[in-house]
Amino acid sequence: MARLTACVLATAVVLGSSTHLIGAHHSFAAEYDPKKPVTLSGAVTSVEWTNPHVRFRVDVKDASGSITQWEFTMGAANGLLRRGWRTTMLKPADTITVDGYLARDGSRVANARFVTLSDGRKMSGGTVPDAPDK
Amino acid sequence: MMRTAVAVFTVLLAAPALLAVQWPEGQAAGVPRNADGSPNLGAPAPRAPNGKPDLSGVWRPERNQQCPPDGCPDNQMSEHFLDLGWGMKDGLPYQPWAAALVKSRSARNGADDPTSHCFPGGIVRLHTYPTYSKILQTPGLIVVLSERETTYRQIFLDGRPLPVDALPTWKGYSTGRWDGNTLIVQSSGFRGDAIWLDRKGSPLTDAAAIIERFRRVSYGRMEVEVTVNDPKAYTRPFTVVLNEFLEPDMELMDFVCLDISRDAPDLIGK
Repeated sequence: MARLTACVLATAVVLGSSTHLIGAHHSFAAEYDPKKPVTLSGAVTSVEWTNPHVRFRVDVKDASGSITQWEFTMGAANGLLRRGWRTTMLKPADTITVDGYLARDGSRVANARFVTLSDGRKMSGGTVPDAPDK
Repeated sequence: MMRTAVAVFTVLLAAPALLAVQWPEGQAAGVPRNADGSPNLGAPAPRAPNGKPDLSGVWRPERNQQCPPDGCPDNQMSEHFLDLGWGMKDGLPYQPWAAALVKSRSARNGADDPTSHCFPGGIVRLHTYPTYSKILQTPGLIVVLSERETTYRQIFLDGRPLPVDALPTWKGYSTGRWDGNTLIVQSSGFRGDAIWLDRKGSPLTDAAAIIERFRRVSYGRMEVEVTVNDPKAYTRPFTVVLNEFLEPDMELMDFVCLDISRDAPDLIGK
């Protein structure tokens, strides 16, 4: 259960031929694997402040310089704002690092457990393993 | 001492956003406050101009569910959200068919919960769903605005009787009257096959009559005693007491989960 890095992922994760970005799910356990933590860094390309999950996408560059797009999900927008998030914290072109858990289906989707913002602040993504589904 | 300090530091590391400031920042006017500016939630319940207790304000359900070690999720929940019979010795008094239904719904981990599919939650779940509601009170009408799917509820205080032929709806039809400091609300006219009382799937049928007794016990807390009389689904009426807490500096934020349409294929419940 070693923590994967973007570099390792680029070579180790087998992705399907489809590049679709699947939707998240109310239940962490349904979509994400708590035994597959991941840390990825890159530039934000888009952010959706939606309910029941905030989504954002990040261009992740591997050691060879090739870029893959990842989608991350967090908790509900209104819950996150009440826990300290602001919509101005996460913008396209921001360079961030995400600690999360990989989707079970092998797609380039992960749950964002923590987000380290471009200014160094580390924010909770508001979804945690073992928490009851809402 | 050192152990305590390490433990505190660990908690802070694990939940970095907990110390952040909620949105919106700033203080609402007209709220009793402590010396440090925080709301004095233990102050007496306010009165409306007509002398009745004033239930107005932004309210949220209780948050008594323990958070996992990783920290609390975005919207911390109450135990009653998961199981309305929480704390009852034998749980809710299900009819046999209802007990079997709850068992099958529980096995799917809430995948069929109407709220998971962005339908409204019904009036009982308004007291437990971890989103916020805003009560607007006038002498003849109380309106409850809910973030959850951006819905409303009306409670008529003008003396009208409950209609016998109301359109069956998610929230039913509600009338209320004051009994001293308690607002007694009776409701009926519910959809018969779609309302869950909790995440485990406790049903509510079209035979249901619900009585709620609202009592604002302090500035910051409201007690809601809910009695459900639904002989189709339950062997006897049952009563639960739910707490709601005022968020005086908070505003409603829409929770329209249309986003879920992208998730529908994944609603497998495990």
